[in-house]
Amino acid sequence: MIKVVHYLNQFFGQIGGEEKAHIEPFVKEGFVGPGMALNAAFKGQAQIVATVICGDSYFAENEEKAKNTILEMVKKYEPDLFIAGPAFNAGRYGNACGSICKFVKENLNIPVVTGMYIENPGVDLYKKDLYIISTKDSAAGMRDAIPKMAALALKLVNNQEIGSPEEEGYIERGIRKNYFAEVRGSKRAVDMLVKKIRGEEFKTEFKMPDFDRVAPNPPVVDITKAKIALVTSGGIVPKGNPDKIESSSASKFGKYSIEGVDDLTSETFETAHGGYDPVYANKDADRVLPVDVLRELEREGKIGELHKYYYATVGNGTAVANAKKFGQQIARELIADGVQAVILTST
Amino acid sequence: MDLEIQQRVKDLTEKYGAENIVVVLGGSEAEAAGLSAETVTAGDPTYAGPLAGISLGLRVYHILEEEIKNECDPNVYDEQCGMMEMVLDVEAISNEVRSIREQYTQFKD
Repeated sequence: MIKVVHYLNQFFGQIGGEEKAHIEPFVKEGFVGPGMALNAAFKGQAQIVATVICGDSYFAENEEKAKNTILEMVKKYEPDLFIAGPAFNAGRYGNACGSICKFVKENLNIPVVTGMYIENPGVDLYKKDLYIISTKDSAAGMRDAIPKMAALALKLVNNQEIGSPEEEGYIERGIRKNYFAEVRGSKRAVDMLVKKIRGEEFKTEFKMPDFDRVAPNPPVVDITKAKIALVTSGGIVPKGNPDKIESSSASKFGKYSIEGVDDLTSETFETAHGGYDPVYANKDADRVLPVDVLRELEREGKIGELHKYYYATVGNGTAVANAKKFGQQIARELIADGVQAVILTST
Repeated sequence: MDLEIQQRVKDLTEKYGAENIVVVLGGSEAEAAGLSAETVTAGDPTYAGPLAGISLGLRVYHILEEEIKNECDPNVYDEQCGMMEMVLDVEAISNEVRSIREQYTQFKD
């Protein structure tokens, strides 16, 4: 029997939500939560012998320690296979799944599989190292994700040939494979060109990697004369969230005045951001958007001035395309207002 | 459906028996309502909650479905649900919940 160890966060491990995100890793014998579906999908060929559960915040804040602790836990069961998640569009969970999969693979030399939504930040970090099954953005996609993860995992552990990303359902890893084509290259290229000219759909054989490279700006020459703006994806808004920025998958950003504001208080500002414990941000929004500290620096002459508006949106699950659009609009306005530098903060 | 509510549905079903429970949903769009309906019939499709792998097979309806609407005082219904009935996609929600109910409930009545 193929032995499997499964990794879950506190939520899917049925411990609790954000309030339990700080829990340290621990082991439960057998399967938990989604492991039940995974076990069923193995159809008797493999079995989850143990489940490691770790809080998302704990992993994010203690990554090295968590990785080593979890590795020791996994090692004890001498598994043939390690599966993490799926994490869907949960950022910290995705990062944890990717990170621990890579670590287990490198140290125990066993196949690993995880699952994520294409925009999960864990995808870009780990898709080159791992097989990540492409999932929907929410747990509603569990039913589709589990059979694909199980099938790919069994193939890997049985040393069967792994098909293309489309065939197996994993996210492209940038690996090219040679094969014998029926039609020679020049003809295929001309066919493609003809389709392209006709405006028909065609499929390239040489996909260009999608580099999202942002060239760094030249440094600020004299920070003591510069006008500095604050921009945040941490959802800090005036109390009552006047623009009703969504707590997840934001469709807009807000522009708010901090003219004459020295300190953000629980009476005047709050966070609209979902998916994290907002208590400390609501108590003192300067923790996310450091207006108080910048005012001090302004008074001490360490920066020129703090721009009178700040911009805010919610980063939680927000589509990359939307985020780009917001960024471009915000940058245009900031440049028009003579801002020389921006401090970006998140949750 | 969050963990706490799943646990409550589970506890109430144990206490009163599945045949004496009707779950009335209020979700505002079809997919979410369908997931909740599935949770209390076939089991939690996300495998995150206490109803993971537990098929209660309860009777489940959405508040905007005809079957529930017909049971209500029209004036009260109009006052409480009239607004949402206008803005939500009643047909999509009803179809989704009905399809889950017909597949998974153990009470075919």
